[in-house]
Amino acid sequence: MTGLLSLSWRLLRGGGGQGLLGAALTGAAVAMSTTLLLFTLAANAAFQARADREMWRNPVEARSGAVAIQATALDYVRGEVITVVTIAPLEGAERSGVHPPGLDRMPRPGEVWLSPALARLVRDLPAGRLAARFPGRMVGAIGDDALVHPEELVAIVGRSPGDPAIAGAEAGPTPGYSPATRVAGFTGRPGGEIFAYQVLTIIASVLMVVPLLVFGGAAARLTVARRDQRLAALRLVGATPGQVIAMTAAEAMITAFGAALLGLMLYVAAMPFVARIEMAGGPWFVGDLWPGTLPVLGVLLAVPLLVGASAVIGLRRVVISPLGVAKRETPPGMRFVRMAALLAILAVVPAAFSQTSVAVVAVVLGLAFLAVNLAGPWVVGMVGRITTRVARRPHTLLAGRRLVDDPRSAWRTIGGVALTGFIAGFIGLLTPSAELLGNPSTTDLVVLVPAERAGEAAERARARLDEAGVAADVETSALRVSENRPRRSRLTVRLPESADAAQVDTARTALAGLVPGRVFTSPADDQHDAVTLLADLRTGNLIVLVATFLVATVSAGINAASGVLDRRQTYALLHLAGTPLNVLDRARRTETLVPLAVMGGGSLLTGMFCALPLASLAIDVSGALILLVTIAVGFAGVIAAGALSRPLLRAVTRNPAPRPD
Amino acid sequence: MSEMAGMSESVLTGDGLVKRFGATVALRGVSIGIGRAEAVAIMGPSGSGKSTLLHCLAGIMRPDSGAVYLHGERIDTMGERARSGLRRTRFGFVFQFGQLLPELPADENVALPLMLGGTSRAKAVAEARRWFGPLGLDGLEHRRPGELSGGQAQRVAIARALVTRPAVVFADEPTGALDQATGHETMRILVEATKHNGASLVVVTHDPQVAAWCDRTVQVRDGLIVTPGYGEPAGVAGPTLPGRPS
Repeated sequence: MTGLLSLSWRLLRGGGGQGLLGAALTGAAVAMSTTLLLFTLAANAAFQARADREMWRNPVEARSGAVAIQATALDYVRGEVITVVTIAPLEGAERSGVHPPGLDRMPRPGEVWLSPALARLVRDLPAGRLAARFPGRMVGAIGDDALVHPEELVAIVGRSPGDPAIAGAEAGPTPGYSPATRVAGFTGRPGGEIFAYQVLTIIASVLMVVPLLVFGGAAARLTVARRDQRLAALRLVGATPGQVIAMTAAEAMITAFGAALLGLMLYVAAMPFVARIEMAGGPWFVGDLWPGTLPVLGVLLAVPLLVGASAVIGLRRVVISPLGVAKRETPPGMRFVRMAALLAILAVVPAAFSQTSVAVVAVVLGLAFLAVNLAGPWVVGMVGRITTRVARRPHTLLAGRRLVDDPRSAWRTIGGVALTGFIAGFIGLLTPSAELLGNPSTTDLVVLVPAERAGEAAERARARLDEAGVAADVETSALRVSENRPRRSRLTVRLPESADAAQVDTARTALAGLVPGRVFTSPADDQHDAVTLLADLRTGNLIVLVATFLVATVSAGINAASGVLDRRQTYALLHLAGTPLNVLDRARRTETLVPLAVMGGGSLLTGMFCALPLASLAIDVSGALILLVTIAVGFAGVIAAGALSRPLLRAVTRNPAPRPD
Repeated sequence: MSEMAGMSESVLTGDGLVKRFGATVALRGVSIGIGRAEAVAIMGPSGSGKSTLLHCLAGIMRPDSGAVYLHGERIDTMGERARSGLRRTRFGFVFQFGQLLPELPADENVALPLMLGGTSRAKAVAEARRWFGPLGLDGLEHRRPGELSGGQAQRVAIARALVTRPAVVFADEPTGALDQATGHETMRILVEATKHNGASLVVVTHDPQVAAWCDRTVQVRDGLIVTPGYGEPAGVAGPTLPGRPS
C-alpha cells in the first residue's frame, strides 16, 4: 500500500504542465467547495449561537428558589432597537452566586450596565436624547456572552422588587417583551425571532448543498479526465483493478485533502469579512462563524472521501477493460423516467406546500431541486437530438452530437447555473415588497395606560415634553378590551410629521419612565422586526445566488477545461488536418449555450412554480430586478468561464506531436 | 538519382529544409520531390527527423530555412490561417488513431471536411457515403468510431482524407495501431484509393512492409536523406473507387 501511495504521489508530481493545470483546477474547485460548505455549516451554527445567547432575556417562571424578578422591554434610538432588561434581585440573591450572563455579579438596585455599542451611543449622543433614559449609576459593560451580536444595544437596569417599573412591566406590542417574572436563574428559553432565521438558513443550505455536490462531481470528473490514459496504460502493464482503484482514490484524495485544507484556510481568512454582513440587526462575532472543531474535521474528512469516490466511479470504464477509454459506443438514451420524476414531484408541490410544516416544505423543496438535477441530462439529450436534426453548419452538428453523446457531461457544465435558475425563480417570487408593510408613522409615540390614570399621565407627558422643548400633541383614547380585563387607554404623543430622528429620540427620553415598566413605541417601531426580516431576506437571497453562481461559473470553467483535456488528441489531429480552431470553439460554445438557455429558463420556471403556493405576498420589483441581473451575470460567467479554456484549446492543438507516444 | 530530379513534375517539393528544436537539429537541409499520384515512404529510426519532414511538407510546421512548394506555389511562407486552409482543402491526413470524433457517426466524420468547406450537410453526407462501398465499409455509415474495429476506423479515416479530393495525402504511421494482416489491408486500400484519386501519398513509417506498398522509399537519418530510391510498386488491381476517371 505504501508503494502504491508513493507511486501515486510521483504520478501526481510528474503529470507535466497539463497534468498540473488539471490538478490545480481540481484543487481550486475542491477548495472553493470546502469554503462554501464551511460557510453553510457556519451559518447554521452562527444563528444557533445567537439563539443561545439570546435565551437569558426570555425569563422562565421559577416554581421555587427565585433569586430575582426579571422583565424585558424594547426601546428605540435612531430607529435601532435597545433591549432593556430590568432585574430586581430578591433576598439572598448575591449569596446564591447566580447572575446574568455578561455580568460578573447580580445587578443591584440603581445600577445600569450597558453593552459596549450602547455605551458608545450614550457617550456620543446628547444626554437628552438617550443617556437620561438610564438614570442609574453606570457600573460596567455587558460581556459578549450576553449579546446576540457585537453591535447590539442592550441595557441591564437594576431595580428593587417593589419598584413600580417592575410591577408595571407587561407583554408588549411585539415579541421581545416579557412581563415581570420571578426567576431562579438566567438560562431562559428560546425566543421566536431567531427561529425564523434558522428555518430560512436551513432552506438556504439545502439550496446551496445540491449545486456543491454537482460541483464535487465536476471536480472529480476533471481528475479522471487527465488520469484515464495513464491508468489505462497501467492496466495494460498488469496493474490489477484494485491497484488502479487504490491509486486513483489515493491520488484524488491527496489532492482533495490539500485543497480542503486550503479551503479551510480561505474560510478562516474570510471570516472577519463575512462577520461584517449584517443579519437580524447586526454583524457577527467572528467566533460565531466557526462551525465547530468536529464539523470542520468532518468536512476535511468527507470532502476528500467524496472526491475519491467520484473519481473511482468515473474510472469504472478504465477498470472494466484496459481498452475501456478508447472504446466509445453509442450511449443508451436517457430514460424518460427522469423527466417523469420531476413532473411527479411538481404535481405534489401545491398540496405539500399548503402544509404548515417546515420540514415537509424543506423536504419537498429539496426533492424538487434534486429532480431538476435528475431531469437535466434528459432535457439536454433531447436538446441535443433536436440540434443535431436541424444542424446545417459543422459547429452546430458537432455540438448537437456531443450533447446526444454525453448529456450528463453537458449537464455538469451548465447544471450549476441552471439549478441557480431554480433558486432565483423560487426566491424571486418569495421576496416580498417592503410596501407590504405600508408606511407606518415614525412620529407617533404610543403607550397603553390604565384608563383611570390616562388623564394624569397625559398631563405629565405634556409637562415633560415642554421641559425637553419638544412640540407635540398628546391625546388619549379609550381602548376596547374584554370584560374581565382592566380597562386601558391609549396615550398617543403626536410629533409633527416633519420631526427628525433626534426630536423623536428626545421625546422618547423625556417620556422614559412616565408609565412605569412601559415604553412609548411608534407604529414603525412595532414593525421593526418585519422590516429587518425583509431586508435580511433580500441579503440572504443575494448571498445564496452569488455563492451558487460562483460555484456554477467555476464548475462550468472546469468542465470546459476538462472537455478540452479529454479530447486533446482529437482536437490536435483535427487542427493538424486543417480544421479551424474557431469551428471547434463555436461548437464548444453552442453545446453550452443552447442547453443553458433551455434548462436555465426551464428551471427558473420550475422554481417559480414551486414558490407559487407560498407566494401570497406582494412581489418586490427591485428584488426581482436584482435577481434578473444576477441571472444575466451568471450566464455571462458561464460563457466567460468557457472562453477561459480557449488558451488551453490552443495549447493542446499546438502540440506538434500528434502521436500519443 | 538525385531527390531533386524530376522536380519539374513534382506536385510537392521540399527544397533544402532545415528545422531546429532548440539545440537539436531535426532536419539538416533535406530536399525531396513527390510526383503526381506517387506513393513515397519516409523511413528512419526514432528521432531521425521523418515526422518533422512530414510536418514541414504538410504545412503543419514552418522550416527554419528552405522552401516547400505545392504545384510550384510556395506554401511555407503562408500565414497560419492560409496553411490551415491549405491542409483542409489540398491535403488529406491519416494518423495512427484517434483522429475521428467519437461522438459523430462514421458518415458524418467523413463529411466533416466538406462541411467545413461550406458544402451543405445533406450533400456532404451523401458525398461521404459514396466512399463507404468501395472502401469496404458498407453498412457502417451510422456506427460511431468506438463501434468500429481498428481497421474499419482507419478506412473511415482514409475516406475522410480523400473526400475533399486532395493533391497529397499524408499518413503518419497509419498502421501503427493495427495487427499485421489488417495493416496490410489498410495500406493496400490507402495506396490504391489515393492513386485512383490522382493524389500523391507520403507515408511516414518505420515498418519496411508498410514502405513496400509505396513506389519509392526515402531513408532519413540524423536529419538527412541517406538512401534515396524507389520501392516496389504496389501493382494490385483494386476495387472501383470514387474519384477521377482513370
